[in-house]
Amino acid sequence: MIAFRYTKTDGAEYLSHLDLLRHICRTFKRAGIELKHSEGFNPHPRIYMNNPLGLGIKSVAEYCAADCEFGGDFSAAFNACSPDGIKCTAYKIFDFNPNYAYTVKSCSYTAEGIDGFDPDKFFSRAQIVITDKRGREVDIRRRVLSLSQDGGKTAFTLGCGENNLRPDLFCEFLESEFGGATRGLIKVSADGDYTF
Amino acid sequence: MKVDIDSLRPLLLSVEKPSRYTGGEFGSPALKESELDFCLCFPDLYEVGMSNLGIKIVAESLLKSGFCADFCFAPAEDFGQGLKKRGVPLYSLGLKKPLAEFDILGFSMQFELSYTNLLYMLDLAGIPLLSKDRKNGNYPLITIGGPCAVNPEPLADFVDLVFIGDGERVDADVARLYLKHGGKTAEFYAAASKLDGVYIPALTKPVYENGKIIRFDGIAKVKKAQVQNLDEEVFPETFAVPNCESVHDRAVIEVMRGCYRGCRFCQAGFIYRPVRPRSVEKLTGQACSLINSTGYNEVSLNSLSTGDYPDLRGLLKSLKENLPNGTRLALPSLRVDSFEGDFAQDSRRVSLTFAPEAGSQRLRNVINKDITEEEILRAAESAFDQGYSAVKLYFMMGLPTERDEDLKEIGKICAYIKGAYRKKPRKKQLRISVSCSTFIPKPFTPFQWEEQISKEQMEQRRRALIDGMKAKGVILNWSDDFTAELEAVLARGDRKLGKAILFAYLNGCIFDGWDNRLNKDGWEKAFGQAGITPRDYTRSRGEDEILPWDFIDIGVTKKFLLSEKKRAYAGEVTGSCLDSCKGCGMQKSCPAATKQTL
Repeated sequence: MIAFRYTKTDGAEYLSHLDLLRHICRTFKRAGIELKHSEGFNPHPRIYMNNPLGLGIKSVAEYCAADCEFGGDFSAAFNACSPDGIKCTAYKIFDFNPNYAYTVKSCSYTAEGIDGFDPDKFFSRAQIVITDKRGREVDIRRRVLSLSQDGGKTAFTLGCGENNLRPDLFCEFLESEFGGATRGLIKVSADGDYTF
Repeated sequence: MKVDIDSLRPLLLSVEKPSRYTGGEFGSPALKESELDFCLCFPDLYEVGMSNLGIKIVAESLLKSGFCADFCFAPAEDFGQGLKKRGVPLYSLGLKKPLAEFDILGFSMQFELSYTNLLYMLDLAGIPLLSKDRKNGNYPLITIGGPCAVNPEPLADFVDLVFIGDGERVDADVARLYLKHGGKTAEFYAAASKLDGVYIPALTKPVYENGKIIRFDGIAKVKKAQVQNLDEEVFPETFAVPNCESVHDRAVIEVMRGCYRGCRFCQAGFIYRPVRPRSVEKLTGQACSLINSTGYNEVSLNSLSTGDYPDLRGLLKSLKENLPNGTRLALPSLRVDSFEGDFAQDSRRVSLTFAPEAGSQRLRNVINKDITEEEILRAAESAFDQGYSAVKLYFMMGLPTERDEDLKEIGKICAYIKGAYRKKPRKKQLRISVSCSTFIPKPFTPFQWEEQISKEQMEQRRRALIDGMKAKGVILNWSDDFTAELEAVLARGDRKLGKAILFAYLNGCIFDGWDNRLNKDGWEKAFGQAGITPRDYTRSRGEDEILPWDFIDIGVTKKFLLSEKKRAYAGEVTGSCLDSCKGCGMQKSCPAATKQTL
């Protein structure tokens, strides 16, 4: 398994998850790296991505594991054939599937444009209920793992998987609570047992 | 000026499929502004336009000549309205440059129901819709091309120049003249009008008497542009891979241009004559280049009738030997009679499409679709034996000389196909779907003088079709009556129709070809406002009448079309050009005809 970290920037942030998967598979094909396929009636490439990023959110910390054999410089081979904005920044070989959709537990983001506030006040609250995109009321307090502000930049870490919270939704909450207009939201890192 | 995509972020996040509008496709050339910037505009959605081969070929020929060739597609309404609201003009995908700042815009008119979208795109670009309103002011030269350009008259008020025929032959020549004569000058128009394949609406004037055309003043004859040897013409070595899945998301090679068959209802079969095949060697090279550079795993072998390619076996063999393992080959236009076991496409495909076009043998002879019921059944059976379990059948209703019995025969064919399936025990249940669209008599076909049946007749014939459908479980589809009539009116239109198109657009009609977007009321109102009676356009035309498109010389003679019309009424099949030359008027430039006379 080759696991690699890649970007979703420069316009690629507008690609849907399915289109992104298609582009990554084609990148492998153009690079001449053969992906192993499942052996069912409809064989599909054995490629495993982290949880989908919301449409329009930039990231420099997407992870993907691909079942293939490749000996050379993977980054160079991938980047020579990948679309703009989808670029490999690091890779690692595993002898098992790091399955990022399950193993990534939290993701960190930065954003600008949110008015100044005191993060401690946020954490002092026992419960913070917002309405999500499907209209459900959810308590996001325990899904926010860290929150800080430095100059104009707000940094925060949100839960992933079971404890998932969309960063754009969180920014909307911060705006409504403290004022401002979010700019430059970007996922800067992902944390899990096998990220690097 | 460049449109800043980042500034459109809130809009992009609020619309469906924002990656339609961001550009940056893998494989798209790094564009630079040149001394002449051309933007290929496609009046339909990104997913549709990105699948079109024609605009890719034209762009390639412009790039090869050193010009900039960018693309723009019609934005869906959500994005279009958003642009308008924010005061951002429609921009190209590569340079992100407002369309109004290009030198030439080339709209690819693939079908009549996209006419209002031409106006929609001009409007979003902030370009006056009428040609006369653009005279003063620094606006781009508005041009159209594609199959609809063979009758450009309905769009004559809106466009400055029309490309007729093979675009790659003449597009760069027009660009060079544009530069030489300093833009849209009288000298430019005069010089361009001398080229084959160029029509300047302002230089030709149809003269009417009692509502009928009596002559064309000014330039009264315009010849189509024609490439002779496709092997020597440009073809893109790579495709831009669409950001979001397009309707035909695969590599495409153009096996040949033109069709040997001459089915009498088929406009493409006449306007793309003569048949010009590419060589096996060239096609193999093009397919390999596309597959390796795009990462697609399917190549489509496109033409009007790929089964008629002179060396199909050799081509398939060469492609299989040279393409990477696992590359699928798609043969979308195989005729029933060329369907054989070893042409089987992908063994896992389950659905097979046949286009008998008419239910009875008599009517198939009338339309010159020389396939028999036995051939259809034999092909179906051989497909069933290979594991196919679904059949799609395409028919038309409203064909010349059609009677209820002909439509009832469609039901019989379905019953026979069911019988053929039942001959052997098979695992799955057979699915048959029948699509019956209303016949549209198109310019430059032997049926160009025919009437289109009225909406009442459409209803009545559909009943005959349903009555005759005794086989159970057949899924029946038909085209919308209003859409069929609208397509006929636009296809057979004259210059007066431009008014109705303009009113229709102003009444909110766009994306007329999309069932969910067709604005029937808008069109009906527009016809009223423009004083147009649709029946005047769908009526039958006299053989001595001057037709609105008669000043265009498509290569096939009117005499030939008339003789084909007579043969149709006599129920005589003309057959393929490969058997013998039928003398359509293109003998001098037709590779098949030249071979036969040697």
